[in-house]
Order: sequence, then C-alpha cells, then structure tokens
Amino acid sequence: MVIGRHCHIHFMVESMEPPPHILVVDDDREIRDLLSKFLERQSCRVSAARDAREARRLWPLGRYHLVVLDLMLPGESGLEFARWLRTQSDVPIVMLTAMSEETDRIVGLELGADDYVAKPFNPRELLARIRAVLRRANGEGNASQEPPAKAIRFAGWTLEPARRRLLNQDGVEVPLTGGEYELLMVLVERPNRVLTRDMLMDLLRGRQAGPFDRAIDVAVSRLRRKLEDDGRNPSLIKTVRGGGYVLAATVEKAAELPASLAHAGGATP
Amino acid sequence: MIRRLRPRSLAGRTALFLTLALMLVQTAGLLIHALDRLDLQRIILSREISSRAFIFWRTAVLANPDRRQTMLYEIDLMRGLRADLSDTPAVRPGMPRPPPPLVEMFQVKRWRALPPNLRPRALLVAGGEGPRDLIVASQLPDGQWVNLWLTVPVMRPWHSGAFLVAFLMMTGAALALIVWATRRLTRPVSALARAAEQLGRDVNSPPLPEDGPREVATAARAFNTMAERIRRFVGDRTQMLAAIGHDLRTPITRLRLRAEFLEDDEQRRKMLADLDEMETMVNATLAFARDDAATEPSVPLDLAALCRTVLDEAMDARPGLTAEAVTYTGPERLRISARPVALKRALANLVGNALNYGGRVRLRLDGQGPKVEGGLVRLLIEDEGPGIPDDCLEVVFQPFRRLETSRNRETGGTGLGLPIARNILRAHGGDVMLMNRQGGGLSALVTLPA
Repeated sequence: MVIGRHCHIHFMVESMEPPPHILVVDDDREIRDLLSKFLERQSCRVSAARDAREARRLWPLGRYHLVVLDLMLPGESGLEFARWLRTQSDVPIVMLTAMSEETDRIVGLELGADDYVAKPFNPRELLARIRAVLRRANGEGNASQEPPAKAIRFAGWTLEPARRRLLNQDGVEVPLTGGEYELLMVLVERPNRVLTRDMLMDLLRGRQAGPFDRAIDVAVSRLRRKLEDDGRNPSLIKTVRGGGYVLAATVEKAAELPASLAHAGGATP
Repeated sequence: MIRRLRPRSLAGRTALFLTLALMLVQTAGLLIHALDRLDLQRIILSREISSRAFIFWRTAVLANPDRRQTMLYEIDLMRGLRADLSDTPAVRPGMPRPPPPLVEMFQVKRWRALPPNLRPRALLVAGGEGPRDLIVASQLPDGQWVNLWLTVPVMRPWHSGAFLVAFLMMTGAALALIVWATRRLTRPVSALARAAEQLGRDVNSPPLPEDGPREVATAARAFNTMAERIRRFVGDRTQMLAAIGHDLRTPITRLRLRAEFLEDDEQRRKMLADLDEMETMVNATLAFARDDAATEPSVPLDLAALCRTVLDEAMDARPGLTAEAVTYTGPERLRISARPVALKRALANLVGNALNYGGRVRLRLDGQGPKVEGGLVRLLIEDEGPGIPDDCLEVVFQPFRRLETSRNRETGGTGLGLPIARNILRAHGGDVMLMNRQGGGLSALVTLPA
C-alpha cells in the first residue's frame, strides 16, 4: 500500500453546495471522535452516534447526505439498523466491516448499502469511498432509488456486485483484479455510451482507493482478455476513434440471481 | 514371489485364508467320504466274489462227474475270481497262512457250515502271492479238487469324474460366498478410513453412520466423538484468535486516524507504514488460524484468469516493476473447482515471495488438456533470486519459521505466507513444494486437482 501519494483531498470545494452532513455510527468512542474530527477537517458536517438507538434518535434531527455505519454494534446490529434505514430513506450507506464478516458484508450490500471499507480502515480510503458514493448519489440522483441489482447480465456474462465477482455463461467464476472490476462496473452502468479516458479516470478515481496509475488502456486490454474479447478486433469493449471506449452490449439487471448460478452460493459461517 | 502374490487388502487376505482353510477341510471331508464308500464297495464286491465261488463249488458238487467239466465252463466268473478243477489241491504245504481279514471277507466259514451233502471232504486255505490273494482248495466227494483263487478288487477312487467336478463346484461356490461376505464385513473399515481422510481435509465433514455390527458401531461412535472434539478445539482456537484480531483492529484504526493529525509529514508516513505492517501481520495470523479455506465453498473457477489476476495485482502493488518482470505462460482458460478467495491468497503469497526475494516472477500453468497427468494441474512459480539452502526447502513451510538471511525489514513478511499457502492448497487436495533450479533461482511447484 502506498500512502501519501494522493494528498489532494478536496471535498466538493469546487461546488458551492453546502458541506455534506454525515452520520457516523460506531460504538468505539475514540474512533467516533477521531473520525468526526478527521471528516470535519475535510469540510464535512458530522454527527455521531454510539449505537443504533442513538442513531434512530438522531435521524429525524438532521438531513444527512450519507451514513458511515459500523456493522458490529452493541444491541441492535448494524445490519438491522441498515434495514430500518432503508425503510426511511435512500441515504447512501458506507459500511465498516471486519474481514471475517464477509457474509454480513454481502447481506449489507444486497440490502442496499453503497460501499464498504474493511476495518482497520485507512481514513483516506474511507474518505475516497465517501466522496465517490456522494458523487454518484448527486450526479445520478435516481441511481440509488432502484433496488440494488443482485446480478447484472451482459453478453452471456454475469456480474454479482455484492460478491464483486464475474461468472461466464457456464457459471465459472473468472477472477478480476480490483481495478478490472471497478472498470467493468463503470462500463456496465453506462452501456453503449462512449466514455473518454478522462471520464473513465474521473469515474474510477473515486471508486478505487489505491493507486490506479496503470493507464486506462492497460486495464481495458486486461479486461478484454478476461472477457475473451479479441484485442485486435474487439466486439464487446470497442475502442472509439479519438480516445475512448464503449461497452457494446445489452445490459440486463436482475433483482434475483438466476437459478442456474445459485449453487455458487456465498460463504457459510 | 509368494510375498508378491499375497493380497494387500484386509478383504483379500481374509478371503484367501478362508478359501484355503475351506479347501483343506473339503479335501479331508471328501477323502473320508471316498474311503468309506470304497470300503463299502470292496465288501460288496468281495461278497459277490465269494457268492460266485460258492456257486462254482455247488455246481461242481451237484453235477454229474461226467458232465462236471462242461457245466463248470458255463459258469460266469468275474474279475477277482479264478477257478479250476484238478486232481491235486492248489494249496501246498509251505504256502503262507491265510490273512484273517481275507478269510473273514470271503466268508470262508460258510464252507465249513454247509449241509453234509455239500460239505467238502477236505478244505485247505492259504494266502496267495499278494496280500489281497486267497487260495481255497476244497475236495469233492470223488477226490477231485476245486481250486479257487480269490482276489480283493483294487479300487480306483479318483477314477470317477464326478469327484473332481464336485470339488471344483463346491470350492467355486464357497469362494464366491467368502468374497462377498468379507467385502461386506470389511466395508465399514474402508468407510472409517475414508472418513478419517475426509476429516483431515475438512473438519466439518459429515459424521459416520453409527449402525451395523456392534464393533463397527462402536468404532464409528468413537470416531465421531474424536471428530467432534477436534471440531470443538478448532472452533475454540478460531474464536479466540478472531477475538484477538478484532480487538487489535480497533487500536490500529484509532492510530491510523490519529496519524492523520500529525503535523510532521515524515513521521506520519512512517507511522502509517508501521500500522500497515501491523495490519498485515494481524491479518496473516488470523488467516492462518482461522483456516478460511474450510468455510469457503468450492465453486467452478477459471484458474488461468486467477493466475493473471494475482500477477496483475502484484504488479499494481509494486509501481516500480517493469512489465517484463512478471510473465505468464499457459492456457487462456482452465476450469477447475476451488475456493476463489483462499486460492487467490495462496497464489498471491507465492508470487509475492518470488517478487520480494527474486525481483521477478515467471508463472507457468501446465494445462495441455483439461486433465493433466493423473488429474492434477501443475503450476510453476519461478523467480531469479538467490534460492534457499537445500536443507531449508521444507523448513520454510513451518509457521513463523523464517530463514536467518531473510529476517530483515526490507523483505518484510510474517513467516506465515508459505504455511498459509500450503494449508490452503492441501485443503484443496493439492500441495506446494519448493526447489532450487539448476540455473539459479527458486521454483514453487503447485499441484491442484483438475
């Protein structure tokens, strides 16, 4: 992990919108206070709650742009609170999870949480995720209103966002790197639209916390290889003259997993 | 030779032993039966011989002396009986005494008990040339002698084909029954062996059925109890380490946040790097202790794509690396069944080692056909580093065991990378071995079931 290479942390300073109001729910007082201070330094307004009960009490008191939610809470679990929150609002949720809570994370993402950061998290990574999620919520206001897709299908391939995995037409998992996955997500969310390198860089920077220094072209050529798309004569991810790419496919979102793929189920505790 | 012919399996050995024993018993039984039958046959035949001899005598006595010769010629003799009419007895002084069993068998006493009109004037009995021969000379009223040579017939017990057929049929039937029965009886032993094997791979494998014969049920119960204890032990250990890991996460998170408030950029950078190292160590220890592979389900997976992913991510994490430092050769697709997260971790550990110590890595996936030699896929991860001493090739797979030369901050590492990789690969039914290459550099050979 390379630290300190992306020090340009500006939070929507360019727009004249009011600073985003963030609700932090974490049971550790130190983390709560430090995170609040850290986010306030990045020009956010922060409210903090120590458990689900306090968060429920705070919820009607403000208009929150985003909730940072620890899944491991005393009393009512983070997942239950997220479920309740979804009945109230479409507010973006970024989950804090431990690595061992993979099942919870999948359930959380399927519930409609927007992203997650594994504990112990890197504050800058969390900030980058918050920024990306906020930008998505602002830019594509209706994006978070539709129920989260469990499976995204295109050209015989199936993408499962909650498990961050790609399956081919035979249900065989084809592993992707983090960068490839993010790039593919950006492409399938905007099928048949030309995306220039700059647009891709912009869309990806928010998502990918680590360095995404390899040129977009490298990532695209790797992805083509995985998708069995001929690099010299691509038919799925086409190169557009003048610098850009387009995903030439019909994308279909399903709220349920196809039965044929259900066997490849998630981790069982 | 005999050693080589001896069957290896318990069922085979039991069947062989039982068959041999049964053949022995059968042979003895058949022999007793045959001897008994022969004895009976001999008695019957001897009676027949003595009856004929008696008929011969009676005819000789009752016939008119002129016609005696002709009449005697017409009498049907049989094997074991010879007779003639002579002026002198065939029994002469100096001949051996008649053996009592033959005297008994040929009922010589009947001759003495005949009515007066048939009783011989004189009766001479002697043994013949062989132990089975008896000579009886009896004098007719007119002084002529009837000489009779009686021989106990020789029996040939193995002459009858039925004997051999019966023997073979009985042996065959017994063999089939024995093989069936021993297979059935030893099946629980094979099941126990299979269950033990499975338990070694997967602690949560299903318990053995506790039925069948009492001894088998007892063994199955004992096995299940043992498996349960192992499960509980592993569970306790996992829970404890997960708790420690979780508890360490909170202070690491706090320190990371605190570091963001440090004014000194250099100190902050160093502190964050230390925290990253701590996190890596905690995660590695947890991964080793928790044995993630045991809980992750196996799914169909493209191994070729996984290899590429691991190499690409290793390259992304090391921005200084040139593209030529990391190469992949092998098929474009290779479908196997595996646990994706665990297998990726195992390969990433091996590739990471190669890059840390060797500076470059060459990954070769051996997949000419879908099933490569014996259903195993071979994967070679080669570096061009200094290699390690030959006597350390196995030692480095022990947890927390690092070679003295590598124990420095630059190469880092927790001493758990290789043990974790091996645990994961063995849980898949595969393995990993290290070897020094001739031209220099270290190779890690990974095998996985296809």
